[in-house]
Amino acid sequence: MGTIRMDRRLFLKAAGVTAGAAATTQVACLSYFKKGRSAAAENREVPTTCELCPNKCSAIAVVEGGLVKKLNPNPENPKSRDMLCARGNAAIKQVYDPDRIKKPMIRMGARGEGKWKEVSWDEAFDFAAKKLAEVKAKHGPEASLWSSTEGFQEVFFKNLGLAFGSPNLVRHPTLCLASVNLAYSATFGTVPSFDLLNSRYVIMSGANRFESIITPDTMDLIGGVMERKAKLIYLDPRFTVTAAKADEWYPIKPGTDLAFILAMIHVIIKENRHSKDFVAAFTTGFDELAEHVKQYTPEWAEKETEIPAKDISRIAREFADAAPRSLYYAGRRSSWYQNDFQMRRAQAILNAIIGNWDQVGGMVPNAKLPKGEFLFMPWDEPKAPRVDEIEKHFPLAAKGDGVYLKLRENVLSGKPYPIKAWMVYKQDPMNAMPDQAKTLKMIEGMDFIGVIDVAMSDMAWYADVVFPESAYLERTDPVEVMAGIWPAVVYRQQVVKPIHDTKPNLEIVQGLAKRLGLSDYFDYTIEQWVEAEFKELPIPMAMEHMKKHGVWAASGKPVYGKTLTPDFRFVTKTGKIELFSQRLQEAGYDPLPAYTAPVQPPDDRFRLILGRVGYFTHANQTNNVWLNEFMKENDLWINPKPAERLGIRNGALVEVASSVGKVKLKARVTEEIRPDCVFMLHGFGKKSKLQSLVYNVGASDAVLLETAWDKVSGNAAFHETFVKVANA
Amino acid sequence: MAMKKKRYALVLDSRKCINCKACAVACKAENQVPVGNTRNWINEARQGEYPKLRIDFEPEQCHHCEHPSCARVCPTGATWMRKDGIVLVNYDDCIGCRYCMVACPYDARYFHEESGTVHKCTLCSHRVDKGDLPACVETCPSKVRVFGDLEDPTSRVHELLATRRYRVKEPQTGNGPQLYYLL
Repeated sequence: MGTIRMDRRLFLKAAGVTAGAAATTQVACLSYFKKGRSAAAENREVPTTCELCPNKCSAIAVVEGGLVKKLNPNPENPKSRDMLCARGNAAIKQVYDPDRIKKPMIRMGARGEGKWKEVSWDEAFDFAAKKLAEVKAKHGPEASLWSSTEGFQEVFFKNLGLAFGSPNLVRHPTLCLASVNLAYSATFGTVPSFDLLNSRYVIMSGANRFESIITPDTMDLIGGVMERKAKLIYLDPRFTVTAAKADEWYPIKPGTDLAFILAMIHVIIKENRHSKDFVAAFTTGFDELAEHVKQYTPEWAEKETEIPAKDISRIAREFADAAPRSLYYAGRRSSWYQNDFQMRRAQAILNAIIGNWDQVGGMVPNAKLPKGEFLFMPWDEPKAPRVDEIEKHFPLAAKGDGVYLKLRENVLSGKPYPIKAWMVYKQDPMNAMPDQAKTLKMIEGMDFIGVIDVAMSDMAWYADVVFPESAYLERTDPVEVMAGIWPAVVYRQQVVKPIHDTKPNLEIVQGLAKRLGLSDYFDYTIEQWVEAEFKELPIPMAMEHMKKHGVWAASGKPVYGKTLTPDFRFVTKTGKIELFSQRLQEAGYDPLPAYTAPVQPPDDRFRLILGRVGYFTHANQTNNVWLNEFMKENDLWINPKPAERLGIRNGALVEVASSVGKVKLKARVTEEIRPDCVFMLHGFGKKSKLQSLVYNVGASDAVLLETAWDKVSGNAAFHETFVKVANA
Repeated sequence: MAMKKKRYALVLDSRKCINCKACAVACKAENQVPVGNTRNWINEARQGEYPKLRIDFEPEQCHHCEHPSCARVCPTGATWMRKDGIVLVNYDDCIGCRYCMVACPYDARYFHEESGTVHKCTLCSHRVDKGDLPACVETCPSKVRVFGDLEDPTSRVHELLATRRYRVKEPQTGNGPQLYYLL
């Protein structure tokens, strides 16, 4: 025991906090340049913001002789916790990648054939603008589709789509976390953060936080939960790194997390362990909830989840007893099943009834920091309705983001109207969307496809014109406010000049806008844009500060309990936390999460499950030479029991087939997965020859995944595909 | 004033390692390590049968031994130890015979094809001399590695070794390794 106490004391001391039962762990925010660093004359050290994943960590680029030599973590950003992960460190190789697109390219052969002509920017812009204008003249502006994923320069791309007159912007959330966002919003009116640094009891459903790195959560699981010996309960059909670090791992039967959560709520309410004061003061619908969960006993849940009833009851008790410093972590990854929204809703409700809202070690509504806005000339709102018919099918979903899979169905059917041009920024729908054959069909139906990206993704490979974007180390980008428990304003400034004939997205957008007669809407420079944003940062010499430090984080100290006043109104219909949701009922959904058992695979099939490793981002970075070294090829995880039955040996080539496609890859016979599931990693089996390290190496899960979505959010359901596996 | 004696070492809390490889890439960039070679790595031990499983990760690199066998076998004296305990290779003297690679109990060295010499972890002595941390230590998301001077009683490494149980790898070689793994 002595060593355990010593651990905690040392840690708190290191973090600059005095020990004490109620002390919260704080984050030390040193200044990078106070650490005694001084750049030599021939070297420069430039603060910037990483772009290799969506976390936006602060980094300092070391430049020698005009080349980026090293990226160091910038300790001034409390969210990125003074670290850079493998990807952050490998961003250098994004710039100096021999596979980079070095000039604009126009397709010469058939789509996907890989015959390209390098052209000037004028030629590329003229070509694309002519095609877009043709589609607009023939089918109207709504016949163009504008796909993008998050990024500091995404705003310019979206604005071009809107100014062009298309309502059809479609963004990443419905291939990502739309179900989480919608479920927590429906309950609390906002999506909170989770104070892992100070929590005493954490439950995670498949949120593989040690391999799918989110700042500061991943680091706080170590610095908070592990250091302080808080408890981590982890549910996942696969034995991930997070499972290995957890105190208890349950290989839950896939798709049954909702049963586990409902049974926890059942136990907590039955044993009167909920926070009565909090429930009375801040929530509505508790009586309906209590009545509703009576049916969901731990004994019932054991049959569904394969987690023993006594463990469910014990976890429920421990969870409630540790409140308010306990939390059921929302997760952040893609949705898995068609009931995903209701599963996330149940988590939100469970968190609500133990009263961890806005508490140290609980769920905390995001703090924001102010920044200015650049005012540009507004355009007329697009007139046509969205092609994905979002209002009809997903009335609660975020209109501006669209619903990806429903959109693809409608584009393929040509109803309610045809889509003939597809512009893509920074996204790879070929790998991000399930069912690649369908995406290819969608590509076939287009009169024009234009892609803006740093690398030749599979989507770019099928484009008619590719506009090479400068890498983040070569660009200055808009300023971003990172909301959270430790909010920060981050700035990405150009570190080195572009080494190829590439442009930042804004200039690409302007080049197109000019030829489409939309110049007036984009009549500004990135410097003007950024200056307007700096103006309202409440610090003196904001621009100088941001250029020198790359980040501003106010005091760096979290604030708790701001919403815990009697007159606080949550942004929900009732102004309270909605356990029972009338809004959901009116929209035709279950007002309280109701359980239906998921379909399980027949005996000759497996459920295909997905996941991540810490050194790749989604389907990206597998072609980065410094990261590819850690995994050159993906494989299919299969449990030894079924492998033996099927005569599959470790390392043997197997064929994996679903109803929509089949692939071949090597088998990894491993104990680290349930016998009824198989797993493969994202980002391999690329079709683009300019992803040379992973071109035709391993296999792409997008080929196998079937089209399915969560009923409420429209979020793609990625774990609803059953596959056959056999020796190839 | 006489310079105080220094003895640099790394204390590692392997339980915190999540195998994210940040250390390996940071080293690669900082020390221009060729693709295919590495100066630091993470050992993985996977054991058990479903569902009773365990994975242990253990970051490793040159142990900067007190009595380095690599230095003893070096015919030209290219491998040497600084006064602060950092073991280095003087590339001008290295003839690429690779005896040291065989003598190292930790397999921590590699042959650098381009220069024809043997390379390994330098504990980022060039950064340490400027007062910075080694690249692997600084970048680590879960702060597995603690770098410091064992001779300094106020240092964190000193404190950790004074208060925690630890082990070193292959102590029987008599090399006196200076990578301390907390238990």
